[in-house]
Amino acid sequence: MKRVVSVSLGSSRRDHEVRTEVLGIPFEIKRVGTDGDLERAVELLQELDGRVDAIGLGGIDVFLYVDEQRYVVRDGERLLAAVRRTPVVDGSGLKNTLEREVVHYLAAHTDLLPPGTKVLMVSATDRFGMARALGEVGCELIFGDLIFAAGIPHAIRSVEELRRLAHRLLPELVKLPFHLLYPTGRKQEEIDSEKAAKFEPYYREARVIAGDFHLIRRYLPERLDRQVILTNTTTPEDVALLRERGAGYLVTTTPVFGGRTFGTNVLEAVFVALLAKPLPEITPTDHLTLLRRLEFKPHILPLAGEIDESGQP
Amino acid sequence: MTKVASHDEISKSLRAFVDGYNRNARLKAMNRDWNRTVLVQATDIPSQHTLVLRDGELTLLEGAAGEADLTVTAGSDLLADLFAGEITPTEPYLDGRLKVLGREEDIIRLDFISLMIWGE
Repeated sequence: MKRVVSVSLGSSRRDHEVRTEVLGIPFEIKRVGTDGDLERAVELLQELDGRVDAIGLGGIDVFLYVDEQRYVVRDGERLLAAVRRTPVVDGSGLKNTLEREVVHYLAAHTDLLPPGTKVLMVSATDRFGMARALGEVGCELIFGDLIFAAGIPHAIRSVEELRRLAHRLLPELVKLPFHLLYPTGRKQEEIDSEKAAKFEPYYREARVIAGDFHLIRRYLPERLDRQVILTNTTTPEDVALLRERGAGYLVTTTPVFGGRTFGTNVLEAVFVALLAKPLPEITPTDHLTLLRRLEFKPHILPLAGEIDESGQP
Repeated sequence: MTKVASHDEISKSLRAFVDGYNRNARLKAMNRDWNRTVLVQATDIPSQHTLVLRDGELTLLEGAAGEADLTVTAGSDLLADLFAGEITPTEPYLDGRLKVLGREEDIIRLDFISLMIWGE
């Protein structure tokens, strides 16, 4: 049995544990939230170090990639430093590969991303691979990084502008306490209704809302108009919320284990446990190979329409 | 020995900051929704200025004027360097040499603006 634990700065109410098989190997996968408590996360990581096969870091990005440039989030570095023996990943190593694959799959095999589709990415600096892939398949892009991280009502409308702003801002912003830039702990459970109303036009303008689910959820408008939600970390409660608010489809980029999707950090940690080789030697090709062996496809859940007794449309 | 800047040097830096902001049409458009009064005061010399942001336009006033939404406090030399764009606010904010009092979301927004002014 391989054991993978994700330590998250997110809410402990989203904790979850499943036993499953991945490529014939039994896995115990657990997610533990620390409600935004960085010190508690450090303690937990120290306790787990050397006792599990791989660790994922959730609710925080340690590495942000813009093209080939890598920015390191200072709070994330502290968490990494707490672990000396067990491989620890934040999902960023896999995210670029996985999310690019998902976007190209959706464009080629579904009618959810035809050329010209207007896509709101609530934040793109944490998933530059997805942003570039959406551009490659001909989507019209709205990046909400300034809107959702700083409350500045300016939609970034090109990858070039995103790149320029990211290189300008990220070297400084990564030094700030992470909770100032991203909802952690209890904030992940609350919808900011005042700002949701203010930001509603950006959601309404788009046919697809993509990116980090905690950001999508925190500013979710009262009513959606059958938009496609393209994200990864969702619970059954999140699905119910999206259905109630009128989303059309939920597309998740990571597999469903035990009724919910886990973060990319969890999947990357599972891959690390499967590959059983030193972290620096793991390449995007290794990730792609595993995705192919898993016959991985994004999970597409229709949300609109009649609901049957099982709760499915 | 800690360096001290004069009130005039802080004024000069703040004027450069205000000019840099007001020359930037995109920044002005970004902040049309954000009307705020920012008090800037030195800890080591008697020096106060007020930055007033209204409908995207930024103006500088001598002294404390009106009720401030944000208060920026630091040594005179740091304030002069900061508003002249010679240093960024993040490190002094984190190590406590620069104090910014106000709502958290306003502090973050002010940080974004100051980072964008000198890089545009």
